[in-house]
Amino acid sequence: MTDDELRAEVEGWLAEHWRGLPAHHESFGRDPRSEWLGKVRDAGWAVPRWPVDRWGRGLSNEQARIVERAFAAVGAPGAGQDRSNLWANTALAHAADGFREEIVPRLLAGEVGMCLLYSEPGAGSDLAAIRTRADKVPDEEGGGWRVTGQKVWTSGAAVADYGMLIARTDWDVPKHRGISFFFLPMKQPGVEVRPLRQITDEAHFNEVFITDAFVPDDHLLGPLNGGWGVLQTALAYERSVMGDAARGPRSGAGGPKGDHSLLGLAREAGRIDDPVVRQQVAQAIAWRTLNRLNTARAKAELAQGTSSPIMSLGKLAMSRILHEEARVRTLLLGAESLLQGPDHPRAEDANFLALNAYFTSIGGGTDQIQRNIIGERVLGLPREPEVDRALPFREVRAG
Amino acid sequence: MTDTLLRPVPPATLTHDERSALVDSVRRLLADRCTEGDVRRIIDSDSGHDRALWRALADLGIAGLTVPEAHGGAGLAATELELVMEEAGAVLLPAPLISGAIAAALVPDLDGLAAGERIAAVAFTGRHGWAPGDTVAVAGGRITGTARFVADAAIADTILIAGDDGVFAIEAADARITPLPVFDRTRRMADVAIDAPARQVADAAAVAPARDIGVVALAGEQAGGARRMLEMTVAYARERHQFGRAIGSFQAIKHMAADLLLESESATSAARDAAQQVAERSASADAAVALAAFACADAFVRVAKDGIQMHGGIAFTWDHPAHLYLRRARSGAQLFGDSDGWRDRYLTALEAQA
Repeated sequence: MTDDELRAEVEGWLAEHWRGLPAHHESFGRDPRSEWLGKVRDAGWAVPRWPVDRWGRGLSNEQARIVERAFAAVGAPGAGQDRSNLWANTALAHAADGFREEIVPRLLAGEVGMCLLYSEPGAGSDLAAIRTRADKVPDEEGGGWRVTGQKVWTSGAAVADYGMLIARTDWDVPKHRGISFFFLPMKQPGVEVRPLRQITDEAHFNEVFITDAFVPDDHLLGPLNGGWGVLQTALAYERSVMGDAARGPRSGAGGPKGDHSLLGLAREAGRIDDPVVRQQVAQAIAWRTLNRLNTARAKAELAQGTSSPIMSLGKLAMSRILHEEARVRTLLLGAESLLQGPDHPRAEDANFLALNAYFTSIGGGTDQIQRNIIGERVLGLPREPEVDRALPFREVRAG
Repeated sequence: MTDTLLRPVPPATLTHDERSALVDSVRRLLADRCTEGDVRRIIDSDSGHDRALWRALADLGIAGLTVPEAHGGAGLAATELELVMEEAGAVLLPAPLISGAIAAALVPDLDGLAAGERIAAVAFTGRHGWAPGDTVAVAGGRITGTARFVADAAIADTILIAGDDGVFAIEAADARITPLPVFDRTRRMADVAIDAPARQVADAAAVAPARDIGVVALAGEQAGGARRMLEMTVAYARERHQFGRAIGSFQAIKHMAADLLLESESATSAARDAAQQVAERSASADAAVALAAFACADAFVRVAKDGIQMHGGIAFTWDHPAHLYLRRARSGAQLFGDSDGWRDRYLTALEAQA
């Protein structure tokens, strides 16, 4: 099929089917866009790069972009999930045949709510130190796995149907080698979800207490004790998304959006002629602009087939941007930043952003872990020796 | 001389493959003719200029890279100039490339410039001046006074004075040129005392675009220098062992390296974006040039500074090249104005857009 034929087909299909969406949606939980997403999936537009016998169209990267652009042009969601859908990509790559056939199409249509069950109170940066256990139920007793442990920093757990879970399945080997990756059914006794109140006074995350919960055998993804490898592909998706986007002010007040919002606030606050303020506002805007330029260059280099080291820098860059923007906003407001509440939206924004910046600088791997990753995987510096790397996990000191 | 605003053929940008070929040929020449040993030899010389190397660069078309083809140059755009400057910056090339690019933007048909037969230096005065103490004035058909910190003036054949009254050309032989004892010996500068007939060669409107070309070229040089300094530092951190481990395995070093990679890559992005916007004469080019000016200057200074710290004692020695990069970074951070000034101009440009 030529590019023009493809473009004509996808545009024709959109003209026939696309009628807009229901007003509101949540990114976790069941997606009210499911009906539309199901149509997109059935037409093969959801994952155009995947083979035709795997919900896709077997298109090249270039042709898939034609599809994505056609969807973007009319504002229709659902195309290009072969690049963006963490859950479906993980399941496609690692789920056993039968379960994959069942779960992938439902994930592509947003019919199942998902959450991540990785971090634990005792396993944050050192994620391989998880102590949630999955024990095999003997086949003569019906098979499957019984899971017990505690997970934390789980978005969408209350509405999720499945959690992508890492749990320890072998305690007598070093920590990275005894972990398995499961789809844990969330709607069962033994899975208790409690909201976690954050420093911003919001509760976007949950703690999940798992007590003797059941996982069927075919919900194991990848090899038994090979969960660490499955996790790496899943984590890479999450980190690249965090460098591209971060939340803005909660109230929406405080001047125009985007790069110039600091400039707007500086004007409003009557500080725009203060040379000290100008330096700091300009530098904060510059960092955000440089990150945008880096991302654009990385994408262009990837499109030309050159591998780019820049992609891994976005999240680290965004941490600095968010912390610095919040600091400059506070500087601009002065004593007004002492206030909170709906009558003081500018102060609300500055204070919220100052605290929420940690979402990016701690979440999805702290800045310090991110620097390790850049140093080791991009710059090729040697790893720090780890005293527990070769020890059977049972003997590793915890707490 | 023609008016720069009536340039008949717009500068050309190359395809991806043509650019790679250009960069490769420059890189090969510099690897052969501008080694660390060559740089040290050149900076130890009185003039700071290697005529044979300059001839080789001219033969490759680099001396007249942005000179229009009609005047014997390669007729390429700011985007290509920036890429060449990244290579030049990586090896600390001591050659009058930035001055030449500015001169070509001011006076596209300047005699002998494209062929590298004559060297031009440019003094910015008035609104676009950056060096303190400049006293140049045009009155009664004469141009008089002293232009300060004029890069490459001591090796120039022609000096262009670019100010608010227009652009004036002076034969170097007609000026009193006093070389300055510069800290960065790869970038020679001189004070130029003038008392000559005012021979105008371009309109004042040519000055700002030419200065932008200079900033883009310098930004490319800084991005290339930062990248090479970081590569050198990371390579050393992999090899140097203390406490039985490569020092790069220590997070204290590794985390600095990660931060410097962000600085260095951001500098490259800023320099290339500014070059692109200048080449396209984009409406937001002012902001892009200002951003590149301070982002690249600051990045190079930081990478060179921290790079020395990460090396430890070896880089505190004269024989290690790291200090040459820090010197280059520090001189670039003053040329065309300092980062605080550019940050302020960046905000002014954004205010004008908003």
